[in-house]
Formats: sequence, C-alpha cells, structure tokens
Amino acid sequence: MSRPVQRRGAAGEASLGLRDLLLRMLPHAAPTGLQAIGRPGPESPVLVTGNYTVTVRRLRRAMRGRHAWLLCADSRGINVWCAAGGGHLTHHDIIAAVRVAGLADLVEHRELILPQLCATGVERRKIEAATGFRARWGPARLEDLPAFLDRGRRVARRERAMRFPLRERLEMAAAWGWPLFALAAGVAAWLGGWRLGAAVAAAVAAAVAGLYAAVPRLLLSGRGRWWSFAAFAGFGFGVGVLALLLAGDAEPSRLVWLAVAVVAAVAALSVDFEGTTPWYASALAASGRASIELVEDRCSGAAECVQVCPRDVLAMDGRRRKVEITRPDDCIRCGACIVQCPEDALRFRMVGGGVVEPATVRRTRLNMLGRRTVEIEERDGGEA
Amino acid sequence: MSSFVWMRVLESAAERYDRGVRWLSGGRIDEVYARVAELAVGGASATRPQRVLDVGCGTGGVALACAALGAEVVGIDRDAGMLAVARAKALPPGAVGTVSWLELGAAEIEDRFPAERFDAVTACLVFSEMAGDEQAYVLRVARSRLVRGGRVVLADEVEPVNAASRALYRLRRLPAAALTFLLTQTTTRPAAALADRLAAAGFVSITEERRWGGAFAVVRGEVP
Repeated sequence: MSRPVQRRGAAGEASLGLRDLLLRMLPHAAPTGLQAIGRPGPESPVLVTGNYTVTVRRLRRAMRGRHAWLLCADSRGINVWCAAGGGHLTHHDIIAAVRVAGLADLVEHRELILPQLCATGVERRKIEAATGFRARWGPARLEDLPAFLDRGRRVARRERAMRFPLRERLEMAAAWGWPLFALAAGVAAWLGGWRLGAAVAAAVAAAVAGLYAAVPRLLLSGRGRWWSFAAFAGFGFGVGVLALLLAGDAEPSRLVWLAVAVVAAVAALSVDFEGTTPWYASALAASGRASIELVEDRCSGAAECVQVCPRDVLAMDGRRRKVEITRPDDCIRCGACIVQCPEDALRFRMVGGGVVEPATVRRTRLNMLGRRTVEIEERDGGEA
Repeated sequence: MSSFVWMRVLESAAERYDRGVRWLSGGRIDEVYARVAELAVGGASATRPQRVLDVGCGTGGVALACAALGAEVVGIDRDAGMLAVARAKALPPGAVGTVSWLELGAAEIEDRFPAERFDAVTACLVFSEMAGDEQAYVLRVARSRLVRGGRVVLADEVEPVNAASRALYRLRRLPAAALTFLLTQTTTRPAAALADRLAAAGFVSITEERRWGGAFAVVRGEVP
C-alpha cells in the first residue's frame, strides 16, 4: 500500500515570505505524507513533523546537504507545539502518516525521530505499539537536528530546552502586532488625520516590539503582570507623543486619542500574551492555576519527562534513580512530562488543592476550549 | 443547514457536540443517522445480526442507529472525550443490537480487526477531516475488512454540483469557517469526490443521495 514519495515538497526550501512572517498565526498547510530531503535511502533517518509550511521550510533548510525522509503528519496546518497542545496533532495522526506513506516498505530500519515539542499531545509509546517503529525524541529546535544526527541521535541537554532568540521574538511581535497596528492606526487616521494615524502606528509598534524584546526578563506573574503591560503602554505612548511633537500636532485631544489607542492595543495583546510565546504558560489555559507534582513512589527513573521538558524543569537524580523537580518556577505547565511518564508519576496540582491525573491530561490536553471538560478531583491528592 | 465546519468548535467540548450538531442540521441530523444505518444494515438477510464498524463514531449517533436496527456495532473514534459521551448513552428503547466503543484512529482499523470481519462500514462527518491520501488508505483497508457484498456508507458535507448553488454555499460557509477558525484555529473542507474514491477503492454499485441544497451527501458502495 505504499504511495509515491514527494521528491520536492510544495513547501519547498525557499526563504520565509511575507505571508510566513505576518500570517503565521493562521494555519498554513503543507502537503501531508512523505517527502525526500536530498536522496534518502532505506537506511536514512525518518524525521517526523507537522504539516505547517513554515516548519517544513525551516526543517528542509536546516537539513540542506543531507539525506533524510521527512514524514509530515496532519497537524491541520498548525505548528507542532500549538497543534499538539491543542489536541490537533496526536499519536493517531503520526500512526496514520506512517501507514499511509507505507513507511515500513520504504525503509529498512524501524526508527522515527519525533519533534520534542509534540510531546504535549503525542503519546510516544502508542506509536511504537501500533507501528513497530521505535519512536525517539529529537531536539526541541529543528536547527539542532544535524548535530543531533551527527552525535548518533542523542539530544544534548541544552537542545532540550526551548530558546526564544531576539530575532524570533521580533518576528512574533510583527505577526501579532500588525493587526493591532493596522486597526489602531487606521481608526486613528480616520478620526484624526494621517498625523495621528502615524503617531498611533509608531506607538503601537513600539509597545508591542518592546514587550516581545523584553520577554526573557518580563515579569508576568501577579500584579507585576499588569505593571509590565502598563509600562510598555507608557513606552508606546511616549513614542507616539514624540511622533506628534515632530509633526507639530501634539494637541491635548490628539494625546487622548493616542492614549486610548495604545491602551486598547496593549490590552488586546495582554489577554494571552504569554500564550503567544514558548516561554510562559498560557494565561488562558486551565493549567495556568496549577503546578506539576511528582508522586515519588510511582517514579521508576525512566526520565522521559526530563527528555521532553522544554524548560529544563526536571532532572534525574542518578543516585536515587528518581526524577526531581529542580526548577519549578520555570514550569510552563505544558503537561508534556505528565503525558509521557510511563508510570503516571506526574500530575497537576491545582491552586485549590485538587489534582488532575495523567489520564485527564492526555484526554483533554488542557486546551482552552476543552477547559470545561477537565476533571479536577477535589481531594488532597497523595496516592491516587 | 449552516455548515458543518462548526463541528470543530463542537468537538472541543464533547458534551455539547450532540446539541450543536442538531442545531447545525436544523434538527435533522437524526434523519441522517437513521438513513446511514438503513443503507448499512437495512434489507440485509436476517440469518444473523449484521456486524457494523462505525469509523469516527464521535458521540455514537450512527452506531446507536445501527444498533437500533439490530446490528452488532463497534464504534471507533480517536477522541476519548467523544467516546466518553457515547458510552454514557443507552441503546434506543426496543433496540436488539449491541454496541461497543474503542479508541482507535481510522488508519488503525487493521490493527484490531481481521479481514472480512464486518458486513458494513459507516463514517459520518469523518472524511471531511481527512487528507485525500488518508481517505484513500482508509477506504482500501475498510474494503479488506468487509465480507463480499459488504457495504460502505459515507455521509459528509460536500459542495453542491450546481454552480449557482455552489457559489451560494461558499458565501454562506465563509463566515462560519472564519468564526470557527477564530475559536479553534482549525477548519474543515467539504469532502470531494466521495463516489469516485469509493470506485477507486474497488467498491461497486455506488449510489449517492444529496440533501440540504446539495451540500450534504450520503454515498453507498458494495464490495463485489
């Protein structure tokens, strides 16, 4: 039942275009199925990803000059991290991709390399049971794939942790900021002329870019969250005032319109600014009021949780053969560790004391719209 | 009918799925379930209960309709939340059939069921969520799991054949698709060429019924 391999994916290897930059929050589907990178043979590695065009392009570019199979599972045109977290990319999709591609007839080895960031929604062991392929976690970022392959398919610790460099933060600022920028500037120009529109555009752009540029050090917990947004709204307002002064149009009514526009734009972004980054826990997810909890008696030291954590929150204590939660404050409650633990030794503990067991996390992924279906047990926890 | 693209919103919380699908269909979705069941098991010889596999059974509408006609049904779905809703439902009063539920993807049928295990395979509002190559694969495997003379019945949103109706349908669907996307970041596409896909998979005696302005099709084929 094998099917033809796409020798050159529709996503190609071209550099990212304007659509990829500005409309990346929209699904942008690449073809599903098996693609060839270079001239792969029966022994070439099989890299699994979702069918999000930007990812496919970047992966092909990262693997330029190498030979590999690229298996694109149906992630509904969404990036792997968001698709897996939202329940749109699961082990069923990857099993289907393996079957539909006739992979078992194409390669002689039996190994799949999964993107680490799909661990929130893809159950690795179920893929192995259904396909007979060993499923191995790759690095968190696709540009680390060549080094991972050269190292004998081992992930270095630094490659497990998510990075969010300035260039990508500014790309994200452009992607999320331009609709706010265009709407606020358009309305302001319509109400108060082009000078006000230009000042609002400068103000919103400065506030949004400033927020994303500050991400690694941005305080987003407790009351500090609101001070952070207020500070960058103030920064944007200052830039807008400067623009109006330069245009000789800084009348009081203009300043009021400017303030309203900047506050509205920053308020819109603040609804779930955290969720637009891989650095913070979503402000809307049901897991936002939870922390991970280790039931130590259940822990067998498999340490798969350590392999899939994108924030390096967990570590293996080799002496005790137990995992430890070493950096709880960095946890973004993605649930990857809970989903992958073979012993169900990790779970969510809600602020109110209830627990969310692994079976519930696997079933709901704690996605925003599924929030009402999450079952929280109102008890003290301990042994389940 | 608005558009079943709204399913994406409904699927995100299984307990509201049935209510939502009834609303989307103007209260007529049960007619579809009944028609699919009738095409799958109706008129079959009564020497033994008909064995039906309902692929992507969701909250169990088609599976329960088949059981109501006396069939032994296995409903499979990849969504554990939808299956939990299905499991909580009782068989219709007077039903003599049975139904069991299993978490399984459509492309995983071959893992659980041997060749010629079923008399009928049904799939309602499932193919519009699959890529074309997966549709072809699932139909090939489904055919191998059916006995000779076994039936496959697909029901799904499709584009009307008539050009004017198609333009109107697209206009009507666009805002629904946009709002669905805003809420779920995903969408569906109307299923295309279902009858052709059945023929390509080796099914014969293919029939197609249209309803709701030609925007919904119920397609049936048989294993020769």
